[in-house]
Amino acid sequence: MTRFLGPLDNEGRVPPLQQTRVSSFLISAHSAQARQLCMVLPTHFRNAMDVELHSQFHHAMEIASMLARATSWVQDPILAFLIGKWEATWMPRAADGVTDSGLALLIDLVALGHALHAVIRPAALLPENINPLDPFALALHRTEFDSGRVLQAQVMFLKSNELMSVRDQVSAAVERRHSEVRSLWIAMLHGIGITDL
Amino acid sequence: MPSLIYRGLRIRYELAGPTNAPTFVMVNGLTQYAELWEPYHTAMTAKGFRIAAFDLLGQGESDKPSLFINQEDHVNVLRQLINELGRGPIFLAGISFGGLIALRYAILHGETISGLVPMSTFAELSPQLLLLGNAMRTGLILGGTSYLQDLLLPMNVSDTWLVSRLDKLGTVKRPGWLINDLYALQNLMESFLEFTPLTRQLSSIQLPTMILNGEFDFLTPRALHETLRSNIPNSALVIIQKAYHAFTLEVPTLTANLLINFATDVMAGRWNEQGSIWIAPESVGGELVRFPAGYDHLRAIPTRL
Repeated sequence: MTRFLGPLDNEGRVPPLQQTRVSSFLISAHSAQARQLCMVLPTHFRNAMDVELHSQFHHAMEIASMLARATSWVQDPILAFLIGKWEATWMPRAADGVTDSGLALLIDLVALGHALHAVIRPAALLPENINPLDPFALALHRTEFDSGRVLQAQVMFLKSNELMSVRDQVSAAVERRHSEVRSLWIAMLHGIGITDL
Repeated sequence: MPSLIYRGLRIRYELAGPTNAPTFVMVNGLTQYAELWEPYHTAMTAKGFRIAAFDLLGQGESDKPSLFINQEDHVNVLRQLINELGRGPIFLAGISFGGLIALRYAILHGETISGLVPMSTFAELSPQLLLLGNAMRTGLILGGTSYLQDLLLPMNVSDTWLVSRLDKLGTVKRPGWLINDLYALQNLMESFLEFTPLTRQLSSIQLPTMILNGEFDFLTPRALHETLRSNIPNSALVIIQKAYHAFTLEVPTLTANLLINFATDVMAGRWNEQGSIWIAPESVGGELVRFPAGYDHLRAIPTRL
């Protein structure tokens, strides 16, 4: 049982199949966030939250672009099947118990973002003896580091007074998205030999 | 590893020592985890004590609520854990954030424990502590868990402890970095947004209480412990020489001995302190020395009252 990527090659790099699977998952998740944010962002911002979400939209695109370029890609026969499953999970689903349908969808979008940035810790998969200058390792560090900052947009919104009246529904939506994301992330990691989670 | 379930959330704990023995329950500070109490196991079990350590909700291997957690939740978890510990006398010790939870527990459920040891802690947020807490939260958000650790380490331990570890700080920090998630730590810190001082409720703690404070603790300095000493009737303040905020990590054997001696005195009916002030020995085996009469224990230089 192991909780880290590897075994590393002679230059301290993660095996390409593991790189391919981890990056595919992260690119799928963050691209989905970017697509959804693109749909909800207004042309002219109406409030502070729009500014935060705009920043998040660009972070999501940056993460996807960075991982696409930092990964040593290899053929992965089951990737198409996995991506189909992941993408189905990212689909918007209105938060239960919120009567305003637009708000219910926004809560779900933000809850999904919270889960992606809070639950997924790609840098924590790297063993201590990783080559610190390897682009893939750096990209995972960068993704996790940025998540801590990007997460603040979700925290601000989900804990805001504006949502005080539906706090239980917000909590339920966030817990559901956390559970879904955690379950997919763990299943993906199991598939590449990381079983001690 | 045993666990409790609280509102559907799993809390991991570990026990060492004989069943139904007098038990110390240790409550962690922020970023800490149960394994940090392992150095206490040998000293305590050798003297016939049991020790219970656990990961707070939101830390270590316990479940991490995604958005909302309040300090009452930790008190409720503690109640559940103490209920499971059997018939032996229970002594509750907590450090920093854990000390605050221990104080809250003693106010609400003091009848279920035999003694209380708040360490490096506080009952109210002084302006300095409030601003330091805000800075730590901002540091966590902007720099991640690793940066929070970078802030806390030099504040919380001495040069003596650091000097032998400077070349391996990455390894020292790694277990805490791996096991703690940023969002969960942020939730714990944000439980202070609705904080109300406990000072007025401290007098309801009728338990034997030993308050431990590091001589050089500038995160929670002497004045914050003085609030505890002057309001908890059967308490003594013990100053740990040359120690900083995290002396439980830095001098575990000395601290374990202080805890054992405290519990032994309480069980023998010898604890009756009424706000006395003591200086702990520098090493294990030494005696507690009464703080010199006529001098101000709140000052860093010897100032006559």
